Amino acid sequence: MSDSDIPLVEAKDLGKAFGDFVALHPLNVKVAAGEFFGVFGPNGAGKSTFIKLLTGQLRPTMGGARVLGINVRADPRMVKANVGIVPESESPPSFLTAAEYLEFVARLRNLDEIPEKVTHWLDWFGILDKRNTLCKDLSKGQRQKVMLAGAFIHNPKLLFLDEPFVNLDPIYQRKCRNLLMEIVADGGTIFLCTHILEVAERVCTRVAVIDRGHVLAAGSIDELKDNDDETLEDVFIRLVGSSFDEIEAMEGSEEE
Amino acid sequence: MTVITDYRPPQLADSFWVTFRMMFKEEWRQAVDFSRRRHIALFPVMLALLSMILTVGLRYLTGEVLVSSDTESQAFTWDQLKLYMHGGIFAFSLSMGSFAFIGRVMVSQRAGGKNFLLAIPAVQPLDLVTNYFAYYSKEVSYYVLMLLVPTIIGMAGGILLEQFAGLSTPLEWASLPVVLLALTTTLSQGLALSFIASALFSKGGKWSYTIPLIGISIGLLGALQIVDIRLLIPGMLYQFSHQHWIPLVTIPLSFLLAYIGAHLVPDDFEIHVTTKSELFTPVWERLPFLGNGTLRLLVAKDLVDLWRSNTLVKMLISYTVPLLFLLLLAWLVDFASFPIPFNLLSYAPFLGFFGFQFYSWLNGMDSPDYLNGFPVALPELLRAKIVVYFLITTWISVIFLFVMSVVLDQLWALPAALIVMVANSIYIVSLTALLMGPRPNKAIFDISIMAWFYIGTIIPLLALFLISFTQGDMTIYENWGQMVSEEGLNATTSVLVEENVAGRGLRGILGVSAGLIILGIAFLMMLNRRWGRKPFEN
Repeated sequence: MSDSDIPLVEAKDLGKAFGDFVALHPLNVKVAAGEFFGVFGPNGAGKSTFIKLLTGQLRPTMGGARVLGINVRADPRMVKANVGIVPESESPPSFLTAAEYLEFVARLRNLDEIPEKVTHWLDWFGILDKRNTLCKDLSKGQRQKVMLAGAFIHNPKLLFLDEPFVNLDPIYQRKCRNLLMEIVADGGTIFLCTHILEVAERVCTRVAVIDRGHVLAAGSIDELKDNDDETLEDVFIRLVGSSFDEIEAMEGSEEE
Repeated sequence: MTVITDYRPPQLADSFWVTFRMMFKEEWRQAVDFSRRRHIALFPVMLALLSMILTVGLRYLTGEVLVSSDTESQAFTWDQLKLYMHGGIFAFSLSMGSFAFIGRVMVSQRAGGKNFLLAIPAVQPLDLVTNYFAYYSKEVSYYVLMLLVPTIIGMAGGILLEQFAGLSTPLEWASLPVVLLALTTTLSQGLALSFIASALFSKGGKWSYTIPLIGISIGLLGALQIVDIRLLIPGMLYQFSHQHWIPLVTIPLSFLLAYIGAHLVPDDFEIHVTTKSELFTPVWERLPFLGNGTLRLLVAKDLVDLWRSNTLVKMLISYTVPLLFLLLLAWLVDFASFPIPFNLLSYAPFLGFFGFQFYSWLNGMDSPDYLNGFPVALPELLRAKIVVYFLITTWISVIFLFVMSVVLDQLWALPAALIVMVANSIYIVSLTALLMGPRPNKAIFDISIMAWFYIGTIIPLLALFLISFTQGDMTIYENWGQMVSEEGLNATTSVLVEENVAGRGLRGILGVSAGLIILGIAFLMMLNRRWGRKPFEN
């Protein structure tokens, strides 16, 4: 089997229960190199649990997963060493400056030309003037940029991004989206969880919709659509069970 | 299956120094963030100054200048001074070394407003062992630089004064490296022991009761002098014996112990999703005596936090272990017929003093940042913490005082002891809240805060402690004049032989207690001015 045939991400009956509560029912997913894979679902659907299981932040209670061919349960650090991770709502260390955090990450990953890389990514995210500001004193969006820079700095071929655009302004949402598409075009792979369906519709090559720990549907966006007029948001609402009537009633009451 | 990468995660040697360096910066900035930079910088300066004064006064402390005087035997011996110095550092390092608990809190709160390097292994390929070992190494280095080096510089200053100001000290230049090395040995050992104990305790199960039992047993072995305390604290042994192999062996052993401890920290980034039945409303309903305002809500929330976060057990242990020692001490003093009349009222003030630690735990339990968006002010939260402290600990203190009164056969003193305990508790916790607010653990290196804290606690504590002797068995003072002429002043502390001394002493104790309650209430009222405009942040 050649390297290109091996799925970069492979979950086999992967599931997670917290006591009696099953956050993720056993699921099977394969993501190949060069894919932009999106995971959608309502709040509490199990998206973040899924990403945490794949990156070794959680241990599965059912099945297992391989990332880059590495058994995640057996060697989570090896996974973390070879991918980029942006967790949902996590901040860089509060009492390091933005530049120090990136320097720390770069040294941890034994990169060369560290000062140049740090400057490049701070500049890329438009926070070069904040390089010596403590992370705790940055805005939420700026902290998110530092976290993203920390995930990009070692130029990983596989990125796990959990709601990466949430705190970014529209300019940097677009800039990041374009960067991610470039990474995919160069043969990289993105595993993305997001609520911003317009973004996902433009970039994802394949998606999975999760609700209450179950995969409701998976495939290309075109495969999931009932007709050409349907948007990804329509697909999402149809799949997770909310009727348009409910939404319209809600919107109607808001207008009143 | 083929692994599609040949890049390996960094090992200890690759990642230790950068982690250590960044953690050191993090520690310093945390301290500076809490206080003004000059307050932090002043701490080692003041410590050096204090150390210099003590060095110059060593002849007085050890009684060398009082030879042939009646008061000679009142002075400290060199052995006592060494014992106190190492005992203090050892107790400090034990209290600061529970990194496994600290780490767990940091990991669980990493999605909150603040994040720390201890939580980094969740998303970066940093080995947990390297992470915790770097943290231990940082702690040792930080405290050596902030505490020990200034102390030694002060001692050196004291010796220099001998040459320039004609003041003499028995301390010699050659002693300084020995003292530094001995104290470093004690510090590194205490931090390592506390770290490994907290790591094992975090594993839960049998460790959750084995570790406190081992701790108490070792403490008893030392306190009862079954084992020479110098063997339990090798830094102290080195201070006495000057055998250089002791630090050369003990310091690396402490680091090895910490390294083993780092392996024992549970690799726990798990989110423990648990569902619980409604607790907040039932707790709130049980607190009608707090009215219907914010205080009741915050107290109910903190009580639920305490219960759900499983910190209640740790906090109760941290509160009861010192009390157990106090109880043991009371028994020992009684058993050994110690000449100074310690009694129930001598111990009561200390119960309040231990409230500082409990208050610290309460503030580290949860991030209060979410309250910034609500119409609540920080002083209200601080008052709620104080109320929680009383609700949780008062029954323990009462039981201990009762047991102690039985052990000492002094049930008659129980009502007064309870008043002293309550007064001290109100006073000390209110003082802590006023001075340190929501971050008591970060205040220890702020010279102005700590100076006020020490002045504010030591004076009333000492006053109550000394007046309490009036309530003991005064018969030993009846032939006081003869004892002093034969043995010096060490047989007693004060000359209180009059019949009505006990009555006046009791009135004094109650008077001081009333004063402490008034001051405590005043401090509570002053919380608004000091903390009213500060954000919720710990």
